[in-house]
Amino acid sequence: MENTLLVGLSRQVALSRELDVVANNLANMNTTGYKADGSLFEEYLSSKARAAPTDSRVSFVQDRGVWHDMSQGALDRTGNPLDLAIDGKGYLVVQTPAGQRYTRNGALKTDATGQLVTSEGYPVLGDNGPIVFQQTDHQVQISRDGTISVREGASNADAARGHLRVVTFANPQQLQKYGSSSFTAIQGAQPQPAQDAGIIQGSIEQSNVRSVVEMSRMIEITRSYTQVAGILQQQGDMGQQSIDKLADIPN
Amino acid sequence: MRALSTAATGMMAMQLNVQVIANNLANMTTTGYKRQRAEFTDLLYDHVTRLGTQTAAQGNMLPVGIDLGSGVKTVGTPQLMTQGTLSPTGNAFDMAIRGDGFFKILMPDGTYSYTRDGSFSTDGQGRLVTAQGNLVQPTITVPQNSSGFTVNTQGQVSVIPVGTTTPTIIGQLTITRFINQTGLLPIGDNLYTETPASGPPVDGTGNTDGAGDVMTQNLEQSNVDSVTEITNLIAAQRAYEMNGKVISAADQMLQTTSQLSR
Repeated sequence: MENTLLVGLSRQVALSRELDVVANNLANMNTTGYKADGSLFEEYLSSKARAAPTDSRVSFVQDRGVWHDMSQGALDRTGNPLDLAIDGKGYLVVQTPAGQRYTRNGALKTDATGQLVTSEGYPVLGDNGPIVFQQTDHQVQISRDGTISVREGASNADAARGHLRVVTFANPQQLQKYGSSSFTAIQGAQPQPAQDAGIIQGSIEQSNVRSVVEMSRMIEITRSYTQVAGILQQQGDMGQQSIDKLADIPN
Repeated sequence: MRALSTAATGMMAMQLNVQVIANNLANMTTTGYKRQRAEFTDLLYDHVTRLGTQTAAQGNMLPVGIDLGSGVKTVGTPQLMTQGTLSPTGNAFDMAIRGDGFFKILMPDGTYSYTRDGSFSTDGQGRLVTAQGNLVQPTITVPQNSSGFTVNTQGQVSVIPVGTTTPTIIGQLTITRFINQTGLLPIGDNLYTETPASGPPVDGTGNTDGAGDVMTQNLEQSNVDSVTEITNLIAAQRAYEMNGKVISAADQMLQTTSQLSR
């Protein structure tokens, strides 16, 4: 009988974890470059079941992982020259004090020294390190392959300022979310130069959270939770009844 | 329950987003106003099981981990320094900059601030001032009874003094550029001040070294696009609502649990 309670409890714990994931997705509905998460569950078999000679196994549910939905988010046209979106599979490389991070959030800025940085001030890397603009640079053009050119001063010719490093991974699930719309690669996951990714200047990639899906998942979670609670309730009642009946000493 | 606080961060972020959009819409017709954009990133993750953890001595690795996010945070509300539309006014003292750069303004406390709003006029002494009466730098005094006030694209100011027919140059407006315009601090009255993030001001003249052209008899309208703002407003409002629903869902689950024990 305790098994029923514990199986129900395992389901409720898993459901509340799943709600946490849904809540995080919905909170990041408007976060540039955010990738939605999904929960993975697995059956956990326990052979320690008691008082069940015919079927000695009880299956619990366990949340085993959170996977990232790496599909393309919608492109939002902003017209801002330092807003970049990546069309296709690829990530910009960001140098942080903790090492390289990978992001699809292309709302970039320049800092006081003219370096191309993220909203948090970390330099975005080109093929040869950070990309630095000169004081008199204007009309920044970023081509689809990531080449950055500017007009310097009164010159009418394009001056090159570098080439953005865009990388991809053989298995994107080997990326771990780091916060700040960026990912870290686990040991062994090597970034490869992206082949089929294009940079689109003047646009940013919106989050790929599909609100309708998240809302329906949320309803599913609350309903399942209530159902499991119902079963637990019945189990409790059964226990109560048996105590009442068995303890009822006839006069 | 983590979902409660996660959804609360979502609601707070959307509230800030609506605030930014409201300010943009309120300044839709403010001369030289640059629209702001609220930028968000996801908050830290709780790595419950780490991706890539070895599960067996053979070197098997977990293909996915459990990372529970804790919501959203605002990183900044930068101004988007894109060009606003120029609208002709016919007034000789109205100026706009087509391209990069700011007019340099002397504040009453002796510091400088910078503006894209070129709706200038002259004060009692004939000096060129902003709508708030602050001096445009360098100080340009328009001689009395002179006529034909013009400014060329480089920012050279010329007038035809009384009694003559040829224009004389009476001054050169400073056009200041910053390496990081987004890093300027808005202080109201259409003015910006220098910050450590913007980099030092680089004074120059119009149409040189990357600075834009000075367009006289024009004013730069705000770069707020009402359609974009309204769609953003709808998105923000819906996102707020949905985060609210998450809170009620979490609340409902907690309620279910609390009703279990009688």
